Formats: sequence, C-alpha cells, structure tokens
Amino acid sequence: MQDTVREDEILLEVRNVSLSFGGVKALEDISFDIRKGEVRAIIGPNGAGKSSMLNVINGFYHPQEGEIWFDGKLRHRMKPHQVAKLGIARTFQNIALFKGMSTLDNLMTGRYTRMHANLFAQMAWVGPAQREEIEHRQKVEEIIDFLKIQSIRKTPVGKLPYGMQKRVELGRALAAESKLLLLDEPMAGMNLEEKEDMCRFVLDVNEQFGTTIALIEHDMGVVMDISNRVVVLDYGKKLADGSPDEVRSNEEVIDAYLGVSHD
Amino acid sequence: MTPDFLNTIEVILNGLMAGVMYSLVALGFVLIFKASGIFNYAQGVMALFAALTLVGFQTGQIPFAHLVNEIFGTQIHHWGPGMNNLIAILLTILVMVLFAWLVEKLVLKHLVNQEPIILFMATIGLAFFMEGVGDLMWGADLKTLDVGIPSGGSFWWEDVTRTWVSEGYEYYGMYIDLLDVWAAGIAVLLVTVLTLFSQYTKTGRALRAVADDHQAALTVGISLRSIWVIVWSIAGIVALVAGIMWGSKSGVQFSLSLIALKALPVLILGGFTSIPGAIVGGLIIGVGEKLFEFSIGPLVGGATENWFAYVLALFFLMFRPQGLFGERIIERV
Repeated sequence: MQDTVREDEILLEVRNVSLSFGGVKALEDISFDIRKGEVRAIIGPNGAGKSSMLNVINGFYHPQEGEIWFDGKLRHRMKPHQVAKLGIARTFQNIALFKGMSTLDNLMTGRYTRMHANLFAQMAWVGPAQREEIEHRQKVEEIIDFLKIQSIRKTPVGKLPYGMQKRVELGRALAAESKLLLLDEPMAGMNLEEKEDMCRFVLDVNEQFGTTIALIEHDMGVVMDISNRVVVLDYGKKLADGSPDEVRSNEEVIDAYLGVSHD
Repeated sequence: MTPDFLNTIEVILNGLMAGVMYSLVALGFVLIFKASGIFNYAQGVMALFAALTLVGFQTGQIPFAHLVNEIFGTQIHHWGPGMNNLIAILLTILVMVLFAWLVEKLVLKHLVNQEPIILFMATIGLAFFMEGVGDLMWGADLKTLDVGIPSGGSFWWEDVTRTWVSEGYEYYGMYIDLLDVWAAGIAVLLVTVLTLFSQYTKTGRALRAVADDHQAALTVGISLRSIWVIVWSIAGIVALVAGIMWGSKSGVQFSLSLIALKALPVLILGGFTSIPGAIVGGLIIGVGEKLFEFSIGPLVGGATENWFAYVLALFFLMFRPQGLFGERIIERV
C-alpha cells in the first residue's frame, strides 16, 4: 500500500475547521490533510466528532470557521450533490442504500455524476443515452466482479444481510470512480470474517485503482493494520496525527481510549 | 349466454373503463408522493388547469382577457382562429413544466425539511390559487374539449356482442364508449413509458433513488431540487392526460378539480406509493361501484356511486391501511 502514496501531493486539506450546533461544539479548530493515494484513518472514541468531520468534508454540514481545500483549490460552501460531482464519494455508518432497488440499480445510480445524456435523449432512448447506458453497465459489472457480489445482482438490497449491504454500499461508492472515498465505519457491526473481507477490499481498492481513502473506525486494531496515517479526535479536538506506530505510543491517545483522568 | 349474464359483463367492462379514468388521476398523486412524500391536493386542479389551458390554446383565447378588458375597457377575447391540436398540446405541456418549475422555486424550496402536514397545507393553498388563476386566465364558462379522440358507442362491438346471446332471447348488444377505450389505451401506454423510463434511464433511476432515500441520493450526486421539478413536470403531464380524457367526456368545467376526491379511495386501496397500485385500485373501484350500483343500487334507491368508493376505502383502512401494494408501515419503538 505504501508505494501508491505520493508524499508531496495533497488531495484534501482541512484548515482550522470549527463546527458547532447551537452551543455544542462538535469540532474545534481541526486541521489535517489527506495525501493522494493514501489510506487515512480518523479514529476516536464515541462522540469524538469523527462523523461530523466526514459530514463537513461531504457537504452535509457547513463549518462556521475554517477552510477546506480540495485538489489544490479552496472549496466554497457546497451542497452534498455538488461535492459528489467534484469527486468525493462516501458510505454511511448506518447504511444509506436505495433499499427498494436491486444491487445492480444501486451501483448504476452510483454512476449518476458520470452520465451525461440529456433528458430528451433518455426519454426517446436513442443514440447517446443508449450507448451510455451500456457503457456504464459494463463498468458496474466490473465492480460487481471485484466485490464478488454476482449472486445478488438482481436482489433488492433491503433483503440482503447486513454485511452484504455494507459491501453493496462500498460498491456504489466505488462506481462513482471518485478521487476521494470516505468510509464511515466500514467494519462496524461485522463479524471477524466479514471484517477481514472488508479490509481486503479497502486495501485492494487502494492498490488496484489508486483511490485515496479516508475511513473512520472505532476498532483501533483494524485501523492500525491498513492505514498509512492516522488522525485521532477526542471531544471535537485533535489529539494526535501521524503514522500508526506514533499514534499507538502517544500518551494522550492511550488515555482517551482507556479513559484515564488527569487530576 | 343469457341477457342477464351479458348485462353483467357489460357492467364490469364499463366499470373497468371508468376505473382507468380514476387511475389516471391517482397516478399523478403517486408520482409526487413517492418522490417527495407530499400528498399533492392540487393534482385535481392541475388536471383542470391543464385542460383549460389546452382549450384556451386550441380556440385562440387571449389569457387574462377579462381582466384586461375590465381594467382598460377594451374588448379583446381571441387573438385568432386557434391552432392545431398537436401544437396546442405541446404548448400546454410547456406550460405545465413551467408550472412545475415555479412550484419548486416559490413553494417547495422554502419548505424543505418541514412536516408533511405543512407541505400538504401548502398544496391546498396551491389548489385554490390555481383555481383562481385558471378562472382569471381563461374564464369560468363551461368549455367543450375535442382533440379528435373518437367518442360515442361502438357499433362494431354492439354487433359482435349481439350474436353472443343464446337462442330464444332478445338482446341488443353491449354498449361501450369509444372514448373510454381510447382512455384505457392511452393509460396503458403512459404507464408503460413511465415504467421503462424509470427502469432504464439515468434520470429514471434518480427518481427512484430520491423516492427511496434522500440522503443517499444526495451523496451520489443527485440534486433533489432538479428531481422535484422533473417529478412535478411528469405529474403535470399526467394531469394533462387526465384533463383531456375527463374534459372530452364531460366538458371542461371547474367541478373537474373534484376528481381529486375520487382518487383518494383509489390511493387508499392501491397504496400511496405504488404505480401498479394506482392502476389496480382504480380498476377495483370502477368495477366495484358499477357492479354495486347494478346489483344493489335498485334496492336502495340508486346513486350508490356517490358513496360506494369511500365506504370501500374505509373498509380497507381497517384491514390493510398500507393498501394492496403499498409499503408495509412498520413503526419502530
């Protein structure tokens, strides 16, 4: 995984971001960056602000202060669907799939930003619209092969078991072929075998497609194995930032996780 | 076959045809409800407004003529002899799309994340507003609408069915209105096109995606607002089709907006979120009320068609509140 990282190229940079809901501060003056081609983990105990951070990057929340730089440009206030067009895809902790639609349709919807036929061509099902549909269908089939979900192609995803839904959601995010992939607790609630599968997929995506990945995890062990660099949040503040080894030996991080109090 | 048996078949057939007309109205409701969770009370008025606009274009009426005459003391009514049916229909579609865009811009945009009841109230307001605008634009007089769809009884069908009766009986054949047959054909075509569109195109999938999960739709790059404009446009076009059919049948009059009320029991039967449900619900209500009127009607003094559908819906609510095809309502506690 190491050789895909380009040390000097930064894909996303968060500068002094603060976010609060009324009087509650969810994030306080957070800064970190994500380099092209790396697997970056954001970890922290419950309520540390990990998901809020992802929602800020994704455009669901708008920070009161701070800047977000993406691909070398300052990103202005954007709505989630605009962020998606920019090349950021994501998954959710509690799975947000189109439950009534088949696996195939979910993945096809993932390619929404890459399809450009106009409404009239689509309605008449002519030329460009038809070609496009076939072309993108091929890409989606490749992803289905990659994730080994051929057997559930036509199944409505609402009927799938939890682990499979997580995999389909990853597939939908992959289908966008985005520059940055945000994964919100991809291994949450999985058994050991499913976790190992998911780790494998995350690493394969990173290696084979060179996709930059930022993931949130609860489980320290998993994260340390698969990520290049780790940023640690606690109570909305940044505790540590560095390689897994550095973070593991950081006093403050150990305290935050074990709940030691300083008197 | 005995004449009694043939009469029953005739009643069922006519019921199916009437049901198609109900389904057409219900379809517009389902489209909007699925995509945005709004029960659009204005759907019936949209059908009326579309029909009024179509007649206006056809006959070359000047919009707001009465208002202009009142203010400036002029005497203008028509700008010319009118126009071709096809052009008039295309122009009306354009007006309905513009209307959809305005609704999004002026109403929905400002009510994002509000309770469903608030959006419902907004559509009631919209209904009254549109009824007023329709009146002001095109006048409140009863208009006839004719876009060249054949109407009246089918002699061919009468002749064919006359031969079905067993010997020794006297029978005059079945009556079926050609307009109803056309309406059924057009409804089938409309539903087929809508289904194919939503299955095999990017925008169709986006429509289903938005109906399924707003948050997920946003993350894959779908703009909710543009989808809403598209949904309301499609609902506007469906309203136009319903307006043409009902208008051709009974003239374009303001009571047309009340067909929305007839769509309610259809939706309760079929489920608010299902397109096939709207069709089947409409057919059940159509056949049900005609058969009831035919068999029980004479015993209770007739006019059962006025209330039968609502009683049936009430009965359904007790046993299957989500409708025949609706998503099951599961409330987590």
